[in-house]
Amino acid sequence: MAHALEFRQSAPLTLGVELELQLVNTRDCDLTRAASDLLALTEKKPHAGEIKPEITESMIEVSTGIHSRHDALLAELQQIRATLVAAADRLNVRVAGGGAHPFQHWSDRRIFDRPRFQHVSQIYGYLAKQFTVFGQHIHVGCADGDDALYLLHAMSRYLPQLIALSASSPFYQGVDTAFESSRLNAVFAFPLAGRAPFALRWSEFLAYFERMSASGIVESMKDFYWDVRPKPEFGTIEVRVCDTPLTVERAAALAAYVQVLCRWLLVERPNRVCEENYLAYTYNRFQACRFGLEGEIVDPLTATRSSIAQDIALTLEAVAVHARELDCEAPLEHIARVAREGNDARWMREKFADGGSLADLVWQQSERFRGA
Amino acid sequence: MSELFFLPSWPPAADALPWYALLLVVAAIAGELVLRWLHLPRLFGWVAAGIVMGPQITGLIDAEILAGMRGVLDVALGVVLFQLGQRVDLGWLRRNPWLLATSVLEAALSFGAMFLVLLAIDMRPLLAALAAAIGIATGPAVALSLTREMRAQGQVTERMLLLTSLNCVYAFIAVNMLLAWLHQEYSDEVLAIVAHPLYLIFGSLALALGFAGATLALLALLGRRIEAQFITVLALVVTAVYVATALKLSLVLVMLGYGVMARAFDTRRRFAAYSFGRLGQILLVLLFAITAATLDLDLLPAGALAGATLLAARYAGKAMGVLALAPASGLSLRKASLLSLTLMPMSGVALILVHDTTALFPGLGATLATIIVSAIVMLEVLGAAAAYFALVRAGEADETRGR
Repeated sequence: MAHALEFRQSAPLTLGVELELQLVNTRDCDLTRAASDLLALTEKKPHAGEIKPEITESMIEVSTGIHSRHDALLAELQQIRATLVAAADRLNVRVAGGGAHPFQHWSDRRIFDRPRFQHVSQIYGYLAKQFTVFGQHIHVGCADGDDALYLLHAMSRYLPQLIALSASSPFYQGVDTAFESSRLNAVFAFPLAGRAPFALRWSEFLAYFERMSASGIVESMKDFYWDVRPKPEFGTIEVRVCDTPLTVERAAALAAYVQVLCRWLLVERPNRVCEENYLAYTYNRFQACRFGLEGEIVDPLTATRSSIAQDIALTLEAVAVHARELDCEAPLEHIARVAREGNDARWMREKFADGGSLADLVWQQSERFRGA
Repeated sequence: MSELFFLPSWPPAADALPWYALLLVVAAIAGELVLRWLHLPRLFGWVAAGIVMGPQITGLIDAEILAGMRGVLDVALGVVLFQLGQRVDLGWLRRNPWLLATSVLEAALSFGAMFLVLLAIDMRPLLAALAAAIGIATGPAVALSLTREMRAQGQVTERMLLLTSLNCVYAFIAVNMLLAWLHQEYSDEVLAIVAHPLYLIFGSLALALGFAGATLALLALLGRRIEAQFITVLALVVTAVYVATALKLSLVLVMLGYGVMARAFDTRRRFAAYSFGRLGQILLVLLFAITAATLDLDLLPAGALAGATLLAARYAGKAMGVLALAPASGLSLRKASLLSLTLMPMSGVALILVHDTTALFPGLGATLATIIVSAIVMLEVLGAAAAYFALVRAGEADETRGR
């Protein structure tokens, strides 16, 4: 077992991005059964990145290769988008970002992968279908397992920022949830969601994992739905808190921000990393989900509090040198603009208030995804 | 006056509401039995109930009552065509021109095939052409009913709905061009020859446009009030059916056009979530049951050969058209062959076209009816079964439906 969890070395600070995307029809913009038809088209021609089925027929997952630079990552995401949009047009289907579909009913969802779903469904009941939510996962390469665990715990302080910046699921099952990211509420319901246990040595983590698997609670790392989890077979940590943004440009900017944060954390080690960091963890995370950039972030070590938007502005100043080193000034300018002017959730609420319907909102989301 | 004057008379008057209720109850129960015991879509039960209760078998519902149901039948078909129109996205034809090519090719090939085989069994060319033109039409009610009941989604479903609505339009235009040509053989009234088809086509489209505009304007005025939207649109749709009939325009073109335009011009998607809900379901039950009851089974012996020939040629033409352009339009050959099966049903629109022809040329209409009605009778179960099979095999039906 320990052998399977051996931490593979990877080039530090390299990036890989996965996006779960919505497939909707052009009539009422509800989620639709299109993944296998779409895959049949995209598989015909070689294309950038990977396009894969997900658990339901109305979801598709795209993933990039490994990149050390933001511009190459963005270029690949744009190529994947072009492939997807061209295929979707031929099938009269629309592709959209967003952390949750605003009005789909989970009881209507059709399942792509039956055996796996049956298994998950048996264990989790309605949670399994409610889990039709769409996230962005960002992988960051780490030199070894100890580095990965250090980064994982050091990053936890900044997850509320990422949640607030990416939040794009204010509407869920036909209502305004009052949350900026309602998607994470669906994730938190799972028993193994939340944070990884505090351990800074890979050997300690292995011991923890072996206890969990010996007691039959988990079989593999996949059973943990943590906000950040190590991915030993890739040699990465995987940040999983982000809603899928409405554009690939924002997805790439978020990945660049994570890359810069990681470099800063690794090189300068600015914060003490300890279990006490987690005292305010669920409070901060709730604030970010509920209020987004206007939410409050509490630092339990210094007992200081500020708005998440301010916290982002301060962090951006602190990491400026590293942004220059990584050629990430443009994407970080994008992040600063989001912190100042509002996230996707805000844009969605404004569009809906503008008089259209939720169907119209989804249509506009799909227009934004095209880059229109 | 009888001493028992206080008792009601039996049977009730032909135009009375109870006949609808009876038909609905029997059809609905038959539908549920079919679903529960045979695991087939309810529409088979509705059709069976209609045939059994109709004048041909038990005569519980006789020809007089059926004639009285004509108005409701028109509304039911109108609502079906309108809903089909709502599901058609003309923009798709622009984004995927091969789809338009597929549609034109399958309609043309099936027309050609039907025409040639009917000629080969010694039918008069004009009659063969008319029968072939009517045969282009595919069944909107079956397509819609199966899609709704099985909550079907996917490429086979979407293309079935699109091709079906286009086929109804092609059949309508082809039949009316042939009728104009007939006019010219029998008379020299130039005005009637030219003006009638033009009136039908452009009048119908103009009416559809007017209703679509009115609908969208009212929806904008009403805002997000679901109940008010439902009642308003329903009233407008029923009115459109009435006006189309009163102005002697084409019900098919008006209602399909109304649905398509209401969707196409709905730039703010106010109309996107509109659904006829349970009422739409009731109208579908009535449409299937009444249509089945009207089918004249006595025509079958005389028309069976021609009807079967027509159907074989029709399927061959449609399948060839759909398969030939499948790869270009982004569909696997497997799914294309399933799609061709979904184009087998033929009923309501074909019957209307026969009816229209008979109204203009009674003698010709009778012969035509023998062939087309025989074909429809043979397809009534077979066509829907083929479409159902295709949607299930394509993996586009919801397997948990009805439980």
